[in-house]
Amino acid sequence: MMILIRRELLDNLMTFRFAAVLLITLLLVVANTAVLIQDYEQRLESYNGAVRMHDAQLRKAKTYSTMYLFVDRPPNPLSIFNVGLDKRLGNLSGIWHGFVPTLWDAQMHGTDNPFIAFFSAMDIVFVFEVILSLMGLIFAYDAIAGERERGTLRLVLAQPVRRGQILLAKYISAMICLLVPLILSLLCALLLLTRSIPLSTADFLRIAGIVLTSFAYLSLFYLIGLLISATTRRTSTALMIAMFVWGFLILVYPNLIRATVNPGGDVQARTKSAENQIRQIVNEYKRERQKFLEKEGVAGDASRFNEVLGIYTDAHINPVTLSPYLENMSEISEITPDFEQYVPIAKRYYAYVEPLAADAAEKAWFIQKQALDDIFVRQAETDRTLLKLSPVGVYDAATQAWAGTDLSGLRDFFEATRRYRRILIDYFYATDAFSSREWFVADKGAVDWRTLPEFTFARSRIGTNAKRALPDLFLLLICNLALFIGIVLIFIKSEV
Amino acid sequence: MWHITKREIYDNLNSLRFALTTVLLLALMVTNAVRHLREHPKRVQRYQDAVTESLNRLTDRADDSFFTLVHHGPGNFYKKPSPLHFCAEGGEPLLSDMVEVEEPDVFATDSEDNVLLEVPWSLSYPDASLQNKSVGPNVSQVDWAFIIGYVLSLLALLFTFDAFSGERERGTLRLILANSVPRHTVLIGKFLGALLSITIPFILAVLVNLLLISTANTVHLTTEAWGRLGIIFCLALLYTSLFLALGLLVSTRVQRSTVSLMVLLLMWVTFVVFMPSTLASIASSFSPAVSFDEVWKQRNPVQEDLSDKYEEWIWSDALDDRTLRGKSDFYTENVERSERWREGRLRYQSAQMHRARAITRISPATLLQHLIEAFAGTGFERYLQFVENTQRYARQFREFIVDTDRGDPESRHIIGVREGMSQKPISPAAVPRFEDTFDLSKDFNNRAMEILLLALFVVVLLSAAYLAFVRAEVF
Repeated sequence: MMILIRRELLDNLMTFRFAAVLLITLLLVVANTAVLIQDYEQRLESYNGAVRMHDAQLRKAKTYSTMYLFVDRPPNPLSIFNVGLDKRLGNLSGIWHGFVPTLWDAQMHGTDNPFIAFFSAMDIVFVFEVILSLMGLIFAYDAIAGERERGTLRLVLAQPVRRGQILLAKYISAMICLLVPLILSLLCALLLLTRSIPLSTADFLRIAGIVLTSFAYLSLFYLIGLLISATTRRTSTALMIAMFVWGFLILVYPNLIRATVNPGGDVQARTKSAENQIRQIVNEYKRERQKFLEKEGVAGDASRFNEVLGIYTDAHINPVTLSPYLENMSEISEITPDFEQYVPIAKRYYAYVEPLAADAAEKAWFIQKQALDDIFVRQAETDRTLLKLSPVGVYDAATQAWAGTDLSGLRDFFEATRRYRRILIDYFYATDAFSSREWFVADKGAVDWRTLPEFTFARSRIGTNAKRALPDLFLLLICNLALFIGIVLIFIKSEV
Repeated sequence: MWHITKREIYDNLNSLRFALTTVLLLALMVTNAVRHLREHPKRVQRYQDAVTESLNRLTDRADDSFFTLVHHGPGNFYKKPSPLHFCAEGGEPLLSDMVEVEEPDVFATDSEDNVLLEVPWSLSYPDASLQNKSVGPNVSQVDWAFIIGYVLSLLALLFTFDAFSGERERGTLRLILANSVPRHTVLIGKFLGALLSITIPFILAVLVNLLLISTANTVHLTTEAWGRLGIIFCLALLYTSLFLALGLLVSTRVQRSTVSLMVLLLMWVTFVVFMPSTLASIASSFSPAVSFDEVWKQRNPVQEDLSDKYEEWIWSDALDDRTLRGKSDFYTENVERSERWREGRLRYQSAQMHRARAITRISPATLLQHLIEAFAGTGFERYLQFVENTQRYARQFREFIVDTDRGDPESRHIIGVREGMSQKPISPAAVPRFEDTFDLSKDFNNRAMEILLLALFVVVLLSAAYLAFVRAEVF
């Protein structure tokens, strides 16, 4: 067995293809990592700038009702491995009680040149997707067919070794060879990475997960190549079929699925029905507000009341994201003594209306959540599942999950923004902010923003990443195992 | 020579790769056609609805009064979808399909919400990437550019990798060369044979594709579109020849056919898959993007400056010529400045994009992509052309306003201020309309360089293959 492995290993290591593959992988990974690191640093800088700007903006506001509170999503350092949705989706979300932030409402801080998005980002996983699969096939196509052609297969089989062992020896030695470029290029990438970006232990574990997945992916393609090699007579035929398979799995299939799958059902009808439901909630809120004004006896005089306090109300629904924006804003800087009589009413007004807005936004959120899932997420999930019929899809999904740049990873952030919104509302209740004078006018002292709870967001724990990535990783491993058993069976039954 | 060509074709017709190629190309082309038929009518409908709405708006404004038309401007402009969208999608989702005519910008209001000062309409170029809310996987469209650029080039390599090395392995190369055929004849025969045997499945697939598209009554192709398709087809052949020549070159230099295929594949992956994105990322990182906050910082002082400069007139209610002219100048300069600022930003971005595109042209795949985009009337250049069209129209529109005003002897000829302009009603039919156009001759001239570059690649590679083959020894 050891002899077999050693023989195969030497056979593989001293070839032109090994040198070529090693060189190309190294070059591509290093070049791309350097570019990606620069890109990441730029995004980090823009994030820091945005945080500073939003902080300054918040401090400029003197009253609660004119508060501009924005939170930013930091770029994920592991997006260098698989960028996923990290760069594509919004990274800036407004926070206030009359609005539940969603992924689709988010905007972009620091817009890059939008046209540059034309050139698809080349993360390390993309390089691996293409190169590792090619490598696996190139190393495997002549493993059996080549020996058969040269006639050495007979010699080997004449020895008292079992056929399964021969295959295993071939597999192990090829894997060792193939791991060299993989590990070497990763080490180079990590060397570059750690010099400029600090990574935590958990990040290293995540990277280990990515490496493990890459290994399973590589091995899968090696086995596909071996299968082709075991079933064909001539090496050039084997190589050609392998290339067709590669072209189909890597190039054609992933792009084909979007073309064939019909974009999800009747999106417009779904949007309309959800919008109507949300509109009812918003109207209910508006009615309650009106009722209050009537009860307080300022309804007929409403314009006077509004004008004196500079109240600007807004309640509209975003037609795309279905988010209701419920706002009551006061833009005055002081209240003249004759209008001091309105202040108690205004305090009661805000204390009554603002919690109402918060509740309405939350009620709408229950409908909105379902609708957004139907409109945006379901189609994406179907596409992803279909994509998994090709190993590329599984590999991509698994590495995204490890890196935390998949949809769930990004949703974690918006989960956190919604939690923060709750915290903020609780804080307003605790400090009686809703019924305070500083809510709408700052002539007797501005709001002290220092006691405001801070927003914190930490990427999900490594355990969560693993939980999201493991199903796909297991899928890859099972495919590996099934293919290997299949090859052994074919090889045992084949004649020499 | 014909003999060799014929022999090659017969050889190929019965092979496995020919069958696989045919199936693959057919599947891709049918998918492409089906998708186009499903989506194009919707696209055209959307465009027509938008244009109708925008024209209605223009008519309403013209009906209202001359001043309303001058103040609010025409409706938004929309980019006409190309009927050849199936040839190259050209990153359309990343490009905006409209140029916005911004509503008058409220500058100041009084306590009763009456507008005191409002700056008239101006052109702005919305950013489409903010509209993209999809969370699906990132995949490219199966269009002709993809099929030709990626799939056909790979197939071309699969057809030529064993042209000489395979014959050498089998020993048939000696037989051929033992006959009294000059070597260049053998080479050209091989080349033509491979070209024809890859063109057959491609033509078949293209015909099926076009048959599906042209028989459907939802899509209408004009004569011009057919001409464009012809050019794209020729480009595809030229591009395929490039890879065939590359395959022949490597095949003559390498002894074993498997090694030759491996070398070719690695070259292909580098040039076609990796080079475009890597080079573009490197190129775009040379000139840093301007961040959003900086952009706003540049923007704000522009307006504040102006209101200080014209303070004397803009707040005045007087109706004398001097005041009105001051207001008019304020409006003009304001609009001019913000349009210049927006255009400058667009220029900056597109200059960056042009640099990236120029560098990626080293890869023939990108070259082809650009060419097909140009002839299909999609992509980035087309977007810029559309923007230019709207700018030209905007100038025309403003000239029309001035001319119309000049035609009225009672007017005080102060454009932009209600009291200073013609009070006559205007007929909506007289207002020029915006029509987005793109024509072939212009595209051809602009692209001649790129086509020549592609042809040059082919010639260089073919002659290299010839030299290599003439000097190669047969053993």
